[in-house]
Parts: sequence; structure tokens; C-alpha cells
Amino acid sequence: MRLKPGFARALAICVAVAVVVLALDGVIQVLMAQTPFGGPRPSGAEPQAGGIVGWLLAKQSEFYREMSATIRAAKSDGSAVWTLLAISFAYGIFHAAGPGHGKAVISSYLVANQETARRGIVLSFASALMQALVAVVIVGICAWLLNASAKTMCGAEKAIEIASYALIAAFGARLVWTKGGGFIRALQASQPVPALALAGHHDHAGHGHDHDNHDHSHAHHDHGHVHDEHCGHSHGPAPTELAGPGGWRRGFGAIFAVGVRPCSGAILVLVFALAQGMFWAGIAATFVMGLGTAITVAAIAVIAVSAKDLARRLSGGREGGGALFMRGVEFGAAGLVLLFGVGLLLGYIAAERVTCL
Amino acid sequence: MNILMRRLVHLLLLVGALAVGTGAAQAHPHVWITATSELIYAPDGSVTGVRHAWTFDDMFSTYALQGIETKTKGVYSREELAPLAQTNVESLKEFGFFTFAKADGKKEKFLEPVDYFLEYKDTALTLHFTLPLKTPVKPRELALEVFDPTYFIDFSFAEKNPIRLVGAPAACQTKFQRPNDGTANAQKLSEQNFMNGDNSNYGAMFANKITVDCP
Repeated sequence: MRLKPGFARALAICVAVAVVVLALDGVIQVLMAQTPFGGPRPSGAEPQAGGIVGWLLAKQSEFYREMSATIRAAKSDGSAVWTLLAISFAYGIFHAAGPGHGKAVISSYLVANQETARRGIVLSFASALMQALVAVVIVGICAWLLNASAKTMCGAEKAIEIASYALIAAFGARLVWTKGGGFIRALQASQPVPALALAGHHDHAGHGHDHDNHDHSHAHHDHGHVHDEHCGHSHGPAPTELAGPGGWRRGFGAIFAVGVRPCSGAILVLVFALAQGMFWAGIAATFVMGLGTAITVAAIAVIAVSAKDLARRLSGGREGGGALFMRGVEFGAAGLVLLFGVGLLLGYIAAERVTCL
Repeated sequence: MNILMRRLVHLLLLVGALAVGTGAAQAHPHVWITATSELIYAPDGSVTGVRHAWTFDDMFSTYALQGIETKTKGVYSREELAPLAQTNVESLKEFGFFTFAKADGKKEKFLEPVDYFLEYKDTALTLHFTLPLKTPVKPRELALEVFDPTYFIDFSFAEKNPIRLVGAPAACQTKFQRPNDGTANAQKLSEQNFMNGDNSNYGAMFANKITVDCP
């Protein structure tokens, strides 16, 4: 019975998150009703899907398809470049909500690693800009310098993709290793706590008085241990886990693993721009697109970090259980990074496909 | 331990919802194809295969042509495009040519494509190829779907003559359904996907459905 409140709390957190997500969906649907989407659809229109999904799909398809026409227009009319940049920025924002772009990996990493929202934003921008840079380098070397065919370029993309997924998996494995230790320690620390409660209840029962005493002291010891490691009533991360000297280096690992895989859309835009003799416009568009992507990824990362803070506060009431709960969250998030890496590597998780046809 | 496991499951759901939640089913197209398809019939009234003509969008066409040397700049002959056509059909094999046929509800298999070639016209590439059925069939109802399950490619059929029957018995009737009413499906699908983590068949709601009834 006494474990039930913990379970209820976990449930409450999940419900809270679900409510937030649903509310967000509702808001976007309402906003959507006010955009000029309501007009009669021409036959053969873009496929319409419901909710956030459909809206994002429709929006980004629109932006993406305008890009080629705008690049063509920019050849004769310089002002079209500004339109191109605006479209690229919007496309980046919407596009990043789809799979890939490391949202999931970065968010999980932040949750697993006690990172702050501020650092989440920095990591998101760094990885998105790295993605843009890699796309420019690939097209610059393969298409511009070597005039390689699409087949060669897609081969390069595939190789980089596999390397990126392997890096994510390795990164996840390391996180699981580190966070697993913390979780198991918290688990061991929390185990005797029920015994302590039982001891209190059955104190007057004649049998095993010595045994109870033994349990009692043992539990006390462990309780102290938990207290040292992660202060139940402190609201910040434990000092030892705050960004130490190795913190940024670890963060760089995340940026690299995620950012080395370029976005297929950027590659297509760059090759197209190159063919139109507007490579520089393509490069500018790619970086602006990266900026848009970064904003979306950063927003999701901040939500993930805030949700974890909320979870910490909700679970903070009870000392031992709270710490265990948070260690569990971190361990779970670390496991997710590993799962993403392995899943992407083995093709179980659908990522953005490379442009090989 | 039991409670702990249950809590962990909830945690995973929580983190998962945040990390993947919005992306559960948001594959998005990067390539647009405008298709026309022909169903080929043998004199005895059985279907022998499907002949596709797929026109790629401006941007992908340019991408595909990258690095191809031609005698005249900007003009691509069928011979110059032959290696690319070869690459295309080889790559498409991995995806089952995005063509899924059922004869009276039973899945039919296709053989390797034949008569494939690329054509470049008005800044767009068109891939022509014929998919022979492994065994010709003579069903009452033939259902053909053209779509990319991962929705990397958006397939839409041409406005004019999207589907043609070649040599079909006169009594055969064609029905063609464009993928423009996916609303209900999308909702259902994304919930399902979220629960079982599988969005491998997300693109199904963007499928073009062709049905031919031959009494």
C-alpha cells in the first residue's frame, strides 16, 4: 500500500504531460482553422492529414516546393534571394519537427545528463549548424569540385549516415553505462526503506526485535547515503553532476554524433542551386534553414528539460523515492539514446531517407 | 521491483512522448512524383503487368542529373541517361517499386522491371518502366496501390489520364481514388504508431488506389 503514492505520482506526471501535448495540438488546430486553409481545395491537392501532423506536412511541402522556383527566379532578380532565405528559414522550422535532426537524441541526452535548458539551446544550435556545414562540404567537394554523380554523392551520404548512427549508439551505450551505475546505486539505497516502515509498524510485535533493530540501523545508513548523493529536497542538480570540466566535451560528443548527418533536403537544395549557377545562394539558404531547424530542436529540448524539472519537483516530496525516480528517468533517457542509435543503425526507426533513387 | 518496472515504463513513455511524440509520424516528402500508369492485358483478358511513367519534380530531377556528361549542354539523350535509369530501377527494387497489387484480395508479386528508360523534357526527368506480374492473373477485382510507405516520395497521379487499361476486356471498369481524404486515417494512425512505435507504413494513407472490376 505504501508504494502506491509513488505510482500515483508517476501516473500524474504522465497525465500532465499528455494534457500539455493535447492542449498544444488543440491550439494549433484552432490556429489552423484561421489560416486560409479552409477555402475550397482544388482537386488533386496535397494529401490532407489531420492535426499537427497534417499541418506540418502541408506547410513544409509548400515551402520546399517554392524553393526551386525561387532559386530560378533569383538568377535574374536579386531580390528573390531574400524570398529564398525567408522560405528556407520557415522550412527549417517546420521541417525539423519531422524525424531526424537529432531532436530525440539531443532531448534524451539532456534529460539523461542533468543538463540545463540554456545548454540545451546551445547544443541544438551547434548541431543544426554542423548539419548545415556538413551538407555544404559534401556538395562542395562531391558536386562542385569533383563533379561526381548523384550516385556517388548518395554513397557518401549513406556512409556518413551509418557513421552518425554508430556514434549515437556508442554515445548512448556510454550514457547507459554511467547512468546505469547511478540508477543501481539509488535502487540499492531505496530497497531497505520499506523495511524501515514495516519496522515502525510492527515494533510491538514480539518476534525478531533484534532483526528489526538491525534493519533500522542499516536503513539509516543507506538513507544518509542517498542524502549525500542527491539531496531529496534540493531543487537543482547535485553539485557533482553539474557541468564539470568534461561537461562541454561530452556535449561536443552529442553535437558531433547528431550533426555529422546532413539533411537530405539541404543536399537537394544545394545541388539544385549549384546547377543553376547560384551555389552561394544555396549555401546561404542551407545555413538559414539550419537556423530554423535549431529553433525547433531547441524548443523541444527546452520542453524536455523543463518536463524533467517538473518531474523532479513532483517526485521531490519523498527523499529516497524521489532520487530513485530521477535516477530512473536519467537511466531511461540514456537507454533511449542507445535505442535510437541501434534502431537507426538497424533500420528499425525510420529516419529521413538519403536521396538515393 | 514490480512497481519499479511499472514506473520505468511510465518514465520511458514520458521521455518518449517528449522526444519522439511530435515526430511519431511525420515523415515528410523530399521527392515528388507525378505518375501515369497503364495496366497491360493479354488477349485472353488476363493482366500481365503495369507500365509506369513517373515524372520527378524539378529539384530532384536536377539532383539526379548531377555529374552526367552530355554532348550538348542541357540536352540528355536516352543513351546518356541509360546508366542513371539502371541505377533508378536497381534502387527502386529495394522499395518494391512502390507498387502493390492484389488480385481478388491476394497479394501479387512482380518480376524485375523491363523496358526501362529515362526521358528529359521541360527540366524534368521521367522514368518509364514496366513491371511484369510474376504470374498473369485474371481476377474479378484487381487492386493496385502506388505509394511510399515511408512518405519520402509523394506520389500523385496526373490530372489527365492517370490510369489507362491497355487491351482490357470491354466490360472492365476502373475506379481511381486519390489520397486526399486521409484525415480520419491520419489521426488513427498516429495514435496507433505512438502506442506500438511502428510508423513503417505511415505513407499508406497517402496511397493512390486503383481498382479494376472485370465481371
